[in-house]
Amino acid sequence: MLFLISYKSGTPIYLQIVEQVKAAAASGALKPGEALPSIRPLAEELRVNRNTVAKAYTELESQGVIETLAGRGCFLRENHSGLRKDVRRKLLIEEVDRAIVQAHHLQVPRDEFLKLVDERLDVLDDKRRAHEDPNED
Amino acid sequence: MNSPTLPIQIENLIYAYGRAEAVHDLSLTVQPGRCYGLFGRNGAGKTTTMKCLLNLLRPHSGQIRVFGLDPAKHEVEVKRLLAYVPDQVAFYPWMSVRETLDYLASFRANWNRRIEQELFDRFRLDPAQRIGSLSKGQRTQVALVAAVCPETDLLVLDEPTSGLDPIVRREFIEAVIGAYQQGIPGKRTILVSTHLIAEFEGLIDEFTLIDRGRAVLTLDADLARERFQKIRARFAQPPPEMDLKAALRVRREGRELELIANGSGAELMEHLRQHNPESLSTESLTLEEIFVATLKVG
Repeated sequence: MLFLISYKSGTPIYLQIVEQVKAAAASGALKPGEALPSIRPLAEELRVNRNTVAKAYTELESQGVIETLAGRGCFLRENHSGLRKDVRRKLLIEEVDRAIVQAHHLQVPRDEFLKLVDERLDVLDDKRRAHEDPNED
Repeated sequence: MNSPTLPIQIENLIYAYGRAEAVHDLSLTVQPGRCYGLFGRNGAGKTTTMKCLLNLLRPHSGQIRVFGLDPAKHEVEVKRLLAYVPDQVAFYPWMSVRETLDYLASFRANWNRRIEQELFDRFRLDPAQRIGSLSKGQRTQVALVAAVCPETDLLVLDEPTSGLDPIVRREFIEAVIGAYQQGIPGKRTILVSTHLIAEFEGLIDEFTLIDRGRAVLTLDADLARERFQKIRARFAQPPPEMDLKAALRVRREGRELELIANGSGAELMEHLRQHNPESLSTESLTLEEIFVATLKVG
């Protein structure tokens, strides 16, 4: 999987790696049993300290997201469905919070905001249907 | 003081060239397994500090310990425990790469041939080539090979990438991570001085910012990025005068405000919010931006 490190997010680098692995697991971009990149090539590619990547993997292991198989590397665990729903919620909450804060700054009141969310859900639903239709024929 | 487990301890170091004081009352401690950055402008005292560490210069006062040893009294032991890549690499131009490394290896108890070969491949270095015909970048690569192969517990890098092209700089850092850091975690310690901070950002655990010989700021890198923030606010009207003394720097541009915060980000955000901004956003400063923000004000 591919990672993107930002030094402007204020989140410690090892936590960014942890969160990105969890996000990939939640979205299905990383499937159970799939291998994570080994520590050394990943550290080199991101040009971050090896200890930082090692710390991220240790954290993921202690949270039960990945497992290390001696001599073979780190893999996403088969069984982390409970966590998965949790992580999904958490990821979404962050995004929703951001939108709420923005709405506050733009002085969009609560009911208008909720109406907008409803509208957007409809628009995107329509779009998806339009996109899927040709395949159904 | 004198803890053998600490790779580097510097306390109240003072050094002057004649009357010009280059390092003034500098103290820092490097924990094992960490990558420690020494940041400063040209002439800030970085190289002088490193030279004192290597006993190339004698401190006028203060104490230096490398793994608990005084470099002035235990020069040979200290040199055995560390490897050094200087800012100006000086090898014999008439020797080949192979002869140069064999010569340097003869001073070392240990020399990892497997890593040497790996680095030759990585850097596409030809061991038969003469040093005199190498580019500046290639000579630095040879210096890094010479510093990594003895597998010392401490690696000292003095402005290792200045004057090199971006590709060579990138490869250099990747090689430090891949080749030097592959040793036992917690035992491979790095001290790097540089003003090219952005490239080393991901490697740095902790840093000291030096200005005119004085330590201005010492911080954990993650903590620094959490503490230093850039806050931007835009208002419907040009913003009223407000108390922003908690900010390190304030810039006004019409209806917009840009603040640099050092630890007071939340407080400043709250303050701005009370004036109902149209938009309000924050991001962390990178280590390089922290460097600029700190030195410009001070």
